[in-house]
Amino acid sequence: MSLLSRFSSYSAKPALAGEWGVVTYAELTELIAKARRELVQLKLDRPTVFGLVGEHGPASTAWLLALAEAGHFVAPLSGNAAEHPAKLALINAQWIIVADALEWKLLPRVDEPSAHPLFQQLRDQGFPGLILFSSGTSGAPKAMVQNFGKLLASYESRHESDLAMLALLGFDHIGGLNTLLNTLAAGSLLAVPASRSPADVAATIARHHVAILPASPTFLNLLLAAGVAGDLASLRVITYGTEPMPESLLVRLKAAFPRVRFIQTFGTSETGITRTVSPEAGSTFLRFEDPDLEWKVIDDELWLRSRTQIAGYLNASNERFTADGWFRTGDKVEQGPNGTIRILGRMGEMINVGGEKLMPAEVESVVLGVPGVADCRVHGEAHPLTGQTVAVDVVSFTTDQEALRSAIRTACREHLARHKIPTRVTFVPSVSGERMKKVR
Amino acid sequence: MLTREQALALVLRRLAALGKELGKPALEQADGQTRLFGETAALDSIGLVTLIADLEEDIRVATGKTVTLADEKAMSRLTSPFRRVDLLAEYIVEITSK
Repeated sequence: MSLLSRFSSYSAKPALAGEWGVVTYAELTELIAKARRELVQLKLDRPTVFGLVGEHGPASTAWLLALAEAGHFVAPLSGNAAEHPAKLALINAQWIIVADALEWKLLPRVDEPSAHPLFQQLRDQGFPGLILFSSGTSGAPKAMVQNFGKLLASYESRHESDLAMLALLGFDHIGGLNTLLNTLAAGSLLAVPASRSPADVAATIARHHVAILPASPTFLNLLLAAGVAGDLASLRVITYGTEPMPESLLVRLKAAFPRVRFIQTFGTSETGITRTVSPEAGSTFLRFEDPDLEWKVIDDELWLRSRTQIAGYLNASNERFTADGWFRTGDKVEQGPNGTIRILGRMGEMINVGGEKLMPAEVESVVLGVPGVADCRVHGEAHPLTGQTVAVDVVSFTTDQEALRSAIRTACREHLARHKIPTRVTFVPSVSGERMKKVR
Repeated sequence: MLTREQALALVLRRLAALGKELGKPALEQADGQTRLFGETAALDSIGLVTLIADLEEDIRVATGKTVTLADEKAMSRLTSPFRRVDLLAEYIVEITSK
């Protein structure tokens, strides 16, 4: 049963909660109908590219679904508005919808319609398109186009649920969209915090009795540091992904949330979010359990092929896809027993110290466990003696940095091979973004 | 800039701290003639890289200058500044006086 046709049976249940209050499925259905009417008035004679500017909310959700239903192409754009003009130009957007809570503005954008073969292909097949952006290695955004119809169809087998979820990842992020579509398919509530600060997130969880929190290890580490775990009694499940989970952090999380189940998710913007199971509670290994996904490991790199993968990039070569449709993820993995794998980090992140190799995540896991360390990032640094050397940037709780530096090295010496011990320990006010640089 | 005595004191203090960390008490008794790297030396390559990184931080704190002790120039010298404690101290004086 399609997503929209499910809404009538969910009618009085709450769908989206945020600073606009609570919107039910019936009210969301009305908003979609209103968007549909405005769309008809535009008298578009062919599938058209729309930029949908906004964060998670009723108006942005209504337009996302109305545009998909009508077979158009939609690019959700959230976050820093300074980046939007370049992205809108890249996709030759013809219309911009600026959505805010329950309101929207519809603005024409003067541009030639795109003649890109990817759009043409979807038009010919009669499918709507979803356009997401990922940061390329050079920092310039890459526009990925996928068959939105197929993606939406993949949620149709979802069972009804009353477990409210929190929207932490953005409306323009495959992980954020996955959370939204999962919630809507299940007829449950998506709670949107005012900001992604631990305090706002904790308050939103408490107010709406959120049961499922999808988050990144970096955010969960912040949440622990903020000391708000006590307010989160309604949580039943924490799913984590987008970067490797340090084992030491998982141990601390399980101690802070003894009643919560931790489930690892895995996804890439290119292949979608994938269902996985952990072989046992607290394991950082995972096993793919997704009929729509095939996987294999080639030279320690994870390769995926999925039914919901993107059709291609608008402005980049498809070199990471093989001719027979496999996507080289760039993630370095270790294979465990019974078809399990563990994500070690990015292939390019490997550090080579005098010919002996390591991944930043294994060192970060140890450093994070040292009392006084709030957060850290490990990277390789060129060194004339050993080729590369291990350097760590540390955010500390303590003022005695000299003692902490020594404690970090002592802990690493106890748990890690000689070449993995950080030679340079630098204290910094903050470490940048996610542990893995790639935006998923 | 640093005097030779100050630089020597920095190196010896760092070496002693490293000796404590590594469980090598001999490093706490080091002097100018102590060999740092090479055969029969006190440190392995990782130990030496660690010492250098810590010294660069010490120099930054002491003089406000950000210096790189180990670079291709240092490595290609006829007499390696990393062979002995006194040679390293002299190299630090040279680098910080630039």
